[in-house]
Amino acid sequence: MRNSRTLLYILILAVLFTLPFYTGVYLLNVMDIILIYMALALSWDMLLRSGQISFGMAGLFGVGGYAAVLLHLNAGLNPLVSIVLGSLIAGALAWLIGVAVLQLRGMYFAIVTLALAEIFRVIVRNLPDLTGGPEGTVLPSAIFSGNSTKTYWLTLSVAVVSIIASEIFRRTRIHFALTSIRNDEIVAKSSGIDVFKYLVFIFMVTSAIQGLTGGAYAHIYGFVSPEGSFSVDFTLLPIAMALLGGMHSTWGPVVGAVLLGVVSEFLKLQIPYGHLLVYGLIIVITILFFPQGIVGTLGQRFRKYGSR
Amino acid sequence: MSLVSKLKQRNYQIAVIIAVLAVILAFWKPHVLVEGLQRACLYAVIALPMALILGIVGIINLAHGEYMMLGGYFAYCLNVYVGMDPLVAIVPALIAFFLIGMASYRAIIKYVLGAPELNQLLLTFGLAMVLEQMANLIWTSRPIKLPLKYVSASATIGSFTFGTYEFIYVGAAMIVLVGLQLFLKRTSMGQAALAVGQNPRGAKLVGIHVDRTYLLIFSLSIALVGAFGAIFMTRHSIFPLVGAPFTMKSFCLIAMAGIGNLMGVLWCSLILGLAENFVLSFRGYAGWADILFFALIVGVIIVRSRQRQVK
Amino acid sequence: MAVLKTENIVRHFGGLAALNRVSVEFRENEILGIIGPNGAGKTTFINVIAGIYLPTEGKIFFEGQDISALPAHQRCRMGIGRTFQLVRPLPGLSLVENVMVGSLFGKGLGQREARKKAEEWCEFLALSDCNRDITRMTALEVKKMEIAHALATQPKLLFLDEVMAGLNGDETMEMIDLVRKIHRRGITIGIVEHVMRVIRELTDRCVVLDWGEVIAEGPYEMVSSDPKVVTAYLGEEA
Repeated sequence: MRNSRTLLYILILAVLFTLPFYTGVYLLNVMDIILIYMALALSWDMLLRSGQISFGMAGLFGVGGYAAVLLHLNAGLNPLVSIVLGSLIAGALAWLIGVAVLQLRGMYFAIVTLALAEIFRVIVRNLPDLTGGPEGTVLPSAIFSGNSTKTYWLTLSVAVVSIIASEIFRRTRIHFALTSIRNDEIVAKSSGIDVFKYLVFIFMVTSAIQGLTGGAYAHIYGFVSPEGSFSVDFTLLPIAMALLGGMHSTWGPVVGAVLLGVVSEFLKLQIPYGHLLVYGLIIVITILFFPQGIVGTLGQRFRKYGSR
Repeated sequence: MSLVSKLKQRNYQIAVIIAVLAVILAFWKPHVLVEGLQRACLYAVIALPMALILGIVGIINLAHGEYMMLGGYFAYCLNVYVGMDPLVAIVPALIAFFLIGMASYRAIIKYVLGAPELNQLLLTFGLAMVLEQMANLIWTSRPIKLPLKYVSASATIGSFTFGTYEFIYVGAAMIVLVGLQLFLKRTSMGQAALAVGQNPRGAKLVGIHVDRTYLLIFSLSIALVGAFGAIFMTRHSIFPLVGAPFTMKSFCLIAMAGIGNLMGVLWCSLILGLAENFVLSFRGYAGWADILFFALIVGVIIVRSRQRQVK
Repeated sequence: MAVLKTENIVRHFGGLAALNRVSVEFRENEILGIIGPNGAGKTTFINVIAGIYLPTEGKIFFEGQDISALPAHQRCRMGIGRTFQLVRPLPGLSLVENVMVGSLFGKGLGQREARKKAEEWCEFLALSDCNRDITRMTALEVKKMEIAHALATQPKLLFLDEVMAGLNGDETMEMIDLVRKIHRRGITIGIVEHVMRVIRELTDRCVVLDWGEVIAEGPYEMVSSDPKVVTAYLGEEA
């Protein structure tokens, strides 16, 4: 059973990897967006499994983007290297914030993260010499000179990294720790789990993924700006995707990202202003009626049929 | 030391700090004192209704600022289509937003009252996004401002000129604060609300209709913040995202003051308002004023978590 | 030799002293009963020892070491285990996986070993079919799982917080046997109970708490006839 599953994964990966050889540039660009959001949705879900919500994805995404661009421009580093470094910087910032703020959890932590995007935006705007101020910074050339195949492979790698991370979080002892912490922190502590350390660690790792994604995005589109890089899109869509697809799983965010990614392309053309409304509605409706999301609800139905 | 006297002590400590600061500023940078006071009251008026909901209904409403934004657009529409002055529009806004609050509570909020905090956060976040995007759809993201003559009223003391219209915020803050205190302590409905806030199950046993209390308080809060939107838009331009920073700053103030401490929200607003204007007065560093609330809330969290005795 | 010793533990909640100068010794491999009327502070006492609450005053010594300031997870790893009155099993995990959390983190084992240990503990407590879902378990099985979970952390001192509550006569007999079985492994046990029969059968000594203070200490026969204890439970004669 396990072998056929692995075979399936390899097959899917092979198909995805070779996509550029039999599809056009438009589809690859759409895939880029889907994969970027997929990584963000997965990273959000990973933190959610610990019982904490972060609304700060846009913030760390933008930090990764700015770091990657600035390191490349000012320190002359290779774009890929600067993307990875951007990710590490985002992770380090998250560590700092986490250590300061994760002693109080729940809404205190959530609202601090909500403020992150705004804070980083202000900081970036106020250091114009370094960051290019309100207009942002434009790269002389996008990564790989805009070659859509290589760009696609970059985003695919980022998404694969997040999927791997998510699966690691599900298959190792981290899964037990997260489930226990989410369920009841006091019981978790009494089982020997260092709750604070785990939460800081998870926040750090998920923020690093968000930074990685942001760095890749910045290099692909060739610019960073206070409004664009910290846009609320990068917080709103991943949450809607993870909720729609189903929380606390790897495939939930993946399915959600594919579904909503496709829908997003459609909507952007039909409703230029306010198409984000759909995502807000999805969040509201999912919380009210489908706490398990699509994958979760379908999974439950399958289990019911299976046990008959 | 009981919780009540600890709160009162904290209020007095903060009050003393502010008084000292105020005197210093009056001589050194009078602009900061006056404009800081006005800004502080702006924050307070918006934060107090959120404090009310958080303290009594026990729910965090991330869409709080968006209701204010809608209130602004409401007044704008009344002005454009009926020619009503926004300050007059406060009355219909109060009514309209009370109803909107009732609808929001019944349709949405009620369902997450018993749910984990996570659900409340996500739901109200989604709601905030929906409201923002609705405004975006209807009015686009272009900032709107009404050309009102009276908002540029100013006065001069010696060589120091300052805007006087903004004292309307001070007035509003006083009215809301005093009004809420009177309501909560002197009316039977308010006292019932306080009881529910402290112990919902106990209140139910005594015969207080908990759900109706929640409905009332929630609607009252939305009415206040929506009506204030009308005042807000006279002086500031409005756009769909205008409310979001106020949600965050309001929460920061409530976290500083402690949940349930209405008076403290005012004092903490003064701290934030004065501090922001202080930073704004330094030409080169003006842009950093918007980070202050973040530093404050992180500081509060660090201090709070040190104080905790329960691990 | 005392496995655990508390010295004048005081714990305030607001203005109320939930524990007032509680000094108790847990001698090696004994079964110590902790009894007292409702609200006496029994569970608070366990919470302070386990590290969920810090004492307002006083010290706690575990195997001679001052652990008063150690965080809860470290105390668990050192060998202080406890069960909870209200058990909420972890959703999405099977029975044995619930128990595994204890061996994974309390004992620090790798996943495979932790699972094996967890299975052993399930067998030890006569929990059948440990790979099943947690959604259909009897009250007795839930309690057993909770105890297995605590045992999986490999405690030297184990607190059983009202494990007999809600069990019928036969189940109580089975549970008493299991506690004896645990005791034979060399584990020191502190048992909080309302069911006096259990205390009488299992414990070597008792400690009686009332309003957060120790009002009596000694074997059950002595303590149960102590007038102070009787008053605490039944109230004063008019």
